[in-house]
Amino acid sequence: MNQPALRISKLTVKSTLEPGAPAIVSEIGFDLRKGEILALVGESGCGKTKTAEAIMGLLPASHWQVTAGAIELNGTDCSDLPPASLRKLRGNEISMIFQEPLTALDPVFSCGHQVSSVLRRHLGSARNEARDRTIKMLQQVGFADPERIFRSYPHQLSGGMRQRVMIAMAMSCRPAVLIADEPTTALDVTTQAQVLDQLTKLGREYGTAILLITHDLGVVAQYADRVMVMLDGVIVETAEVENLFKQPQHPCTRQLLSYTTGAVA
Amino acid sequence: MPWFLRKLSHGGLLILGVTFISFSLMVWFGPDQTYTLIGKNATTEQIAEVREQLGYNQSFVVRYGHYLADLFTFNLGASNSSGESVNRILQKTIPVTLALMLPGFILGNLLGIALALLATGKKDQWTDRLITGFSVTGMSISFLVVIIFLQVLLCTPYGLNLFPVRGWQVSGLASYLYYVTVPTLSLIFITVGYNTRFFRAVFVEEAGKDHIRTARAYGASTMTILWRHVLKNSLVPIITRFMYTIPLVVISGSLLIESYFGIPGIGKATFDAVTSGDQPVLKAVVGLTAVAFIVIQLFTDFIYKLVDPRIA
Amino acid sequence: MATEILARRKMRISRSGLTGLVIVIFFFLLAVAVWAGWAGQNWSAADGERWASPGSTWWFGTNQLGQDIFERAVYSVRTAFEIGIVVSLLSTALGAALGAVAGWRSNTLADGTVLWLAGVLDSIPFYLFVAAVAFALQGLPWAMHVAMIATFWTATARLARAEVMKIKSREFVLSARAIGLPSWLILMRHVLPNTLHILLIQASISFVAAIKTEVILSFLGLGVQDGVSWGLMLAESTQEVLAGHFNNFLAASIMLFLLLLGFNLLSDALQDSFDPKQAAL
Repeated sequence: MNQPALRISKLTVKSTLEPGAPAIVSEIGFDLRKGEILALVGESGCGKTKTAEAIMGLLPASHWQVTAGAIELNGTDCSDLPPASLRKLRGNEISMIFQEPLTALDPVFSCGHQVSSVLRRHLGSARNEARDRTIKMLQQVGFADPERIFRSYPHQLSGGMRQRVMIAMAMSCRPAVLIADEPTTALDVTTQAQVLDQLTKLGREYGTAILLITHDLGVVAQYADRVMVMLDGVIVETAEVENLFKQPQHPCTRQLLSYTTGAVA
Repeated sequence: MPWFLRKLSHGGLLILGVTFISFSLMVWFGPDQTYTLIGKNATTEQIAEVREQLGYNQSFVVRYGHYLADLFTFNLGASNSSGESVNRILQKTIPVTLALMLPGFILGNLLGIALALLATGKKDQWTDRLITGFSVTGMSISFLVVIIFLQVLLCTPYGLNLFPVRGWQVSGLASYLYYVTVPTLSLIFITVGYNTRFFRAVFVEEAGKDHIRTARAYGASTMTILWRHVLKNSLVPIITRFMYTIPLVVISGSLLIESYFGIPGIGKATFDAVTSGDQPVLKAVVGLTAVAFIVIQLFTDFIYKLVDPRIA
Repeated sequence: MATEILARRKMRISRSGLTGLVIVIFFFLLAVAVWAGWAGQNWSAADGERWASPGSTWWFGTNQLGQDIFERAVYSVRTAFEIGIVVSLLSTALGAALGAVAGWRSNTLADGTVLWLAGVLDSIPFYLFVAAVAFALQGLPWAMHVAMIATFWTATARLARAEVMKIKSREFVLSARAIGLPSWLILMRHVLPNTLHILLIQASISFVAAIKTEVILSFLGLGVQDGVSWGLMLAESTQEVLAGHFNNFLAASIMLFLLLLGFNLLSDALQDSFDPKQAAL
């Protein structure tokens, strides 16, 4: 427990299109410890997704101004790395799963091709080796017929299946950090549990720290170790999950809790 | 209805429409050839005889029926002006036009795609602005101005004087390049502005999709994203534009280029036929263009299935 | 309520769009001056020497008949605007009307007929069609205009159809239907005003297309019958340039380029302000 998997300090995101508008994310900082599941909760529009995209370096400079004191991945600051070095980390040391499984995968490439191209890109695997490993990954995320899934195109799979393909892709290089941005919001309830079980099981197995972005406190109660509450681009409360539910400090947290008392019970 | 039958009936209706409109315009309201054939001082009997030969004394419906029947039996007849068989004219002129137009057409598209990819990769940066400005400028220059300008620049003593002012005496690769260069450059110049703009809009749209963000989140470089993800996802609109503009560029584009440079292709033959009222030639050209359109549509639908797995 | 979509759009016009607007207004004023008889009136008199150089008498020189190129180039602004305005207004109106009917009654016989007609017209090579119309209506000074209107409407109709299909499922249209307003009234009051931005862009695109087409048709001898236009000047210049006289060519092509550039910049800015694309790599 010496150094965290991911350390963020003073991360700020502003729109360059509306210079006068308040920052979408302002001066937030947190540590994601090795192997833990840290939940980031808050109402929609509070800046959770922008936080994730800023950490991943996905916000185009023409539209967004991102400043950070530090974005440390395993003790190395990546906030000043050149683009080529950043690319080597993305999908390799740090991965991301998106909210919309229906549109997150490229429709014109087979699922297997998409997963194995990440392996080939980062691990330099040969075609056959990447293929075998991809099929193993697909098996790991619970597909009984990984060969068929490998050949399938995204539109031939259900939302839950696509999200599992995403998980296979995200975990294929055994990243230190995984950011899961509302991974189950678009799925129905039974699929939600299945997908989150797979995700957290693999995370534990590989020692991957997970930043789980959600607005569902039921999910937080069930899967997370710690939780951060975000309001208007600021983190207002950080706590162990048990403590948060027992003694919410911030009024905003209490309000969030009141929406989901059913799920908590 | 199965897909193929639906396409076919759709195509049939389209051919009916095209032939009906072109028949009305070019034959029914088109130029009267009586006097061209027999001169001004003919007797009433002579006039009546020629009009009967030409079918002018029959009703609209009968003449349209004959027109369709001739078209579908490929009984294209002979040119009124030269007496040459229409099949022979087509055989002579179409290869010339393809040799003349295809290089410029293909290069204009490839150049447009390359510039549009570059602009998309550098969106909102100066490279993008330069390319966008360049394509708007290109779109603002008339076809005729480009031809005249390139002709003066490359074919006259006032410029470089490297290529022929007009004509088409092709007998090998060297002479082909000698005659095709200036028309090709003109065609590229005319089309590249519109192509770049169209493809840029398509690519920018694709580049905004969620799966592009995924690719970037998994370490794909801008080159990989553009060449693999954006380009492959844009193949359907690219192919559509490419296929559907072939008949238009080959006929409409060649009409001007061939008239200007005096090249004996299908465009010039068609234009001469319009102005002289050479009905057999017109029938053949318009009918065949319509058929080409239908074939291209069927073929394009087939290619869609190859490039996009979502189209079943 | 009907114009709520339009009102919510912030009109942000770029610098290049403003440049375009200034150019277009400048040419429009020039056209007005010609209409009013203040400029360009001496375009047909062949009272100079042949191919005179530019100078204080002949600002842009003279052509091979000794006509004043400056006067002709200025008078051509009026010709260009006449063709552009007539063709863009009528073809856009025709396209909007047919497209609106097709979109409002989508998947009916009316819709099918409009789509079929558009498909047919798009399948006939354009210049061939225009040449044929010009020939069929020979003698009529409007033959060229009719031909362009008859073909330019199809693109507008397809766009208007798609937009009307989108709008007709919107809340304000549904509620207008629920309170029993007749279809034509809903179409006129609530649907068409919300397609105005598309029509505006299409009109500016048609304007450019009309002027460019006139040039080609005039060269082919199917264009402007009486009067003068940049197309006719360019057609004259095809012979002159081979003899080394470029004034006619330069005057016509530069004026033509400026006006087209102005319109293209303007219509680009209109499209951007209505449909800003956010994506960037």
